[in-house]
Amino acid sequence: MYQYDDFDRQFVQERVAHYREQTERYLAGKLSEDEFLQLRLRNGLYIQRLAPMLRVAIPYGTLSSTQLRALADISMTYDRGYGHLSTRQNIQFNWPDIADVPDILEQLAKVNMHAIQTSGSCIRNVTTDHFAGAAADEIVDPRPYCELIRQWSTSHPEFEWLPRKFKIAVSGAAVDRAAVEVHDIGLRVYEDEQQQHVFDVLVGGGLGRTPVIGATIRAALPAKHLLSYLQAILRVYNRYGRRDNKYKARIKILVRALGAESFTEQVETEWAMILNESEPLPATTIAHMQQFFTPPKLPVVDHGTGTLAEQRLHQPAFSRWVERNVFPHRTKGYSNVILSTKAIGVPPGDVSAEQMLAVASWAEQFGVGEIRITHEQNFVLPHIPQGDLLALWQQAQAADLATANAGLITDVICCPGGDFCSLANAKSIPIAEAIQRQLADADFVHDLGDVDLNISGCMNACGHHHVGHIGILGVDKKGQEFYQISLGGHAGHSNTQASLGQIIGPSVSRQQVQGVIGKIINIYLTLRQPDENFLSCFRRVGVAPFKASLKERPHDAVA
Amino acid sequence: MTQLLNQQGGRWSISASTDTAWVSLEEFQPDAALLLDVDAEPQAAWASARLIGIDFPALTDGRGLSLAALLRQRVGFTGDLRAIGAVHEDILHFMLRCGFTSFELADDRDPEIVLGQLAPYSQHYQTSVINPMPALVRLANTH
Repeated sequence: MYQYDDFDRQFVQERVAHYREQTERYLAGKLSEDEFLQLRLRNGLYIQRLAPMLRVAIPYGTLSSTQLRALADISMTYDRGYGHLSTRQNIQFNWPDIADVPDILEQLAKVNMHAIQTSGSCIRNVTTDHFAGAAADEIVDPRPYCELIRQWSTSHPEFEWLPRKFKIAVSGAAVDRAAVEVHDIGLRVYEDEQQQHVFDVLVGGGLGRTPVIGATIRAALPAKHLLSYLQAILRVYNRYGRRDNKYKARIKILVRALGAESFTEQVETEWAMILNESEPLPATTIAHMQQFFTPPKLPVVDHGTGTLAEQRLHQPAFSRWVERNVFPHRTKGYSNVILSTKAIGVPPGDVSAEQMLAVASWAEQFGVGEIRITHEQNFVLPHIPQGDLLALWQQAQAADLATANAGLITDVICCPGGDFCSLANAKSIPIAEAIQRQLADADFVHDLGDVDLNISGCMNACGHHHVGHIGILGVDKKGQEFYQISLGGHAGHSNTQASLGQIIGPSVSRQQVQGVIGKIINIYLTLRQPDENFLSCFRRVGVAPFKASLKERPHDAVA
Repeated sequence: MTQLLNQQGGRWSISASTDTAWVSLEEFQPDAALLLDVDAEPQAAWASARLIGIDFPALTDGRGLSLAALLRQRVGFTGDLRAIGAVHEDILHFMLRCGFTSFELADDRDPEIVLGQLAPYSQHYQTSVINPMPALVRLANTH
C-alpha cells in the first residue's frame, strides 16, 4: 500500500495544527457557528442529533493493521469503544467531544491518517474496488490512480468550495465493485491495444434525491491526462453548477440541465485549453506511484484445494461461509475474505474496538497486514492462503465476524438513520435489525441467493436505497415515520448494468415493513426460474407482480 | 468600511481601504480598475487592466477561485488581483494559490488572526497559479 513520505507526514501534521487553531478560535468565540461549520465539515466533523460525528478517511478503503489498531484505541479513548464502517469505505466515530477532535486528529496523524475532506462541499475521499490489487478478475490495479487523485484533490486551491460534495470512484476489474455508474465521476481503467492504461470517464451519476446513472463523456482517456481531465470537469462544475438550491447543486443536475452532449463539449473545450497551459502527468510519476502497489510476494502454497474441499465436507457451516464470503484471488492457492459486520442485533457496519483489534491481528497472522473496508460496510482481508481459511473462520466466528451472508439479503447496507443523524426522516437501523431477525433462518436466506437490501433514513440516500435490489427509504408523513419500498436497483458486483429501483407503491408504516418484505420474497420464490436470482427475476417479470405485496393486509411475516 | 490586506515592500500588512474607482466589465478600458462578479467570462482584453477585483458573494462560493486562476493562466493578467466581498481569513490561503494578491476584508476581522492565516501550510500537493509546475508538483520534482 501507499507509504507516506516526509511531505505527506508534514502536510497532515500541519493540517492538525491548523484545525486545532481553528477549533480554539471557535471555542474562544472568534469564529461564528456558521463559519466554523464550513471549516469543521472540511475536516470530517458533523454535529449530529446526539453528539458530533467524526468521519475518518480511509483512502480507497485500504488500511494497515497498525492503522486499524490506532482506530480501536481512539474508539476506546475518545468514543464508546466502537466505530461505524461507512458506505464510502470510511470509518465514523459517533460520540467524540468537539474539544477532543484535535487530539484525535493528532493520534490519527501518528499513523498517517486524517479526516481531510470527508465531508463538506469538496472532493471527497476517492473510493475503489475492495479487492483491488488482489482480485482474480482485475485488469488494471486502480490504486496508484486513486492515490494520485487523493494527492491531487487534497486541499486543491480551486476546488475546495464547490457547489456540493463531489465523489469519485475508480474500478479496474471485469466486475465493477466500486459502483462507478452512481458517482459524480466514475472511472473505469483498462488497457488499450498498446497495453497502455486508459480511462472511460463517467460523469453525473449519483443517488440522493435525484438518482441518476452516469453518462460516459470520454472513452479511452490516456492515463497521463487523467488529472487534467478531472480538472476540466471540476472547473466546469465549480463555475456553472447551481448554488442557489442545495438539492439541485450536484453535478448530475448540471449535466442534465445542459444535456450530456453539451456538458461534454464544455469539458472538452476547457480541457483542450488546459492541455495548452500545462504538462501531462510524467510517466515517471505514474511509475513511482505504481511501485507502492506491486503485488505482495506471496509464498507458493501447496494449493490445498484438496484439504479445503475436505474441510468443507466435514463442516457445512464453514463450507457455506467459504461459498458466500470467500472470493477468488489472482494467485493460485490464495483468497480474499469478507468478514461480515452484519450479525443479527448489531447495527450494520458497527464494529467494536475488540473486533478491530482482532481483524488487525488476523491480517498479520494470515495475510499481509492489510485490511480493506467495503462500501457494503464489511471488512476484507486480502491475500489469505486457502489453507488458513478454516483457522481464520474459527477465530472470526468467536468474534462475531463470520456471518456467511456476503451479498445475501441480511448483508444489509444501512445508514445511521434517525437514531443518530439529524437529517434523517426515519430510523433505519431498527428496520435492518427487524428484517435480519425475521430472516434468521440461514438456510432460507442462503437459498434466496444474492439480494442487496439497502436502507436509507432519508432521501439523501446514504444507505444507497436506489441501487438496492430491494430498497427501503424512510420518509416523513405528518410527523410519522413511513417507508417507501423500491425494487430492481443495482450498483454493480456483476457484469450487468447498473439500474435504479422502481417504487412499488405507497409508503408503509414501520410495523408493515417486515410484512411487505416477506411478501416480496414470497412473490420472488413463486416466480423465479431455476438459478434465477432476485435481480434477474425482477428484470424479467417487472414491477407489476410485486405490487401485490402492498395490496393484501394484514402483512404477515414470512417463513 | 473595509480594510485592505496586501504586500507592502515585500511584507503583508493591513491598512484602511481607500476608495477605488471600479468600472464594470461593460465600461472596461485599459488601465482601469475592473470589478467582476464571480460568474464573469474571462476576456483577453482584461490583461491590460490596472487592477481586477472579484466580488465573492459568500464564504462558500468557490467560483471566484476558478475565475482568478483563469485570469492568471489564460488571460495572462499580471496586475493586482483583489478579492472583495465575502472574504474570510480562512479562505485566504486558497485565494493566494489561485493568484489573488490583495484582499478587502470587513472591518470586524481581527488583523492579527488574518495575518496568521496566510500560509497555514508550508507545501502543497498540486501545482497552482503561484507554483506553475507540471501536474502534481512534488511528484514531478522529486522523482
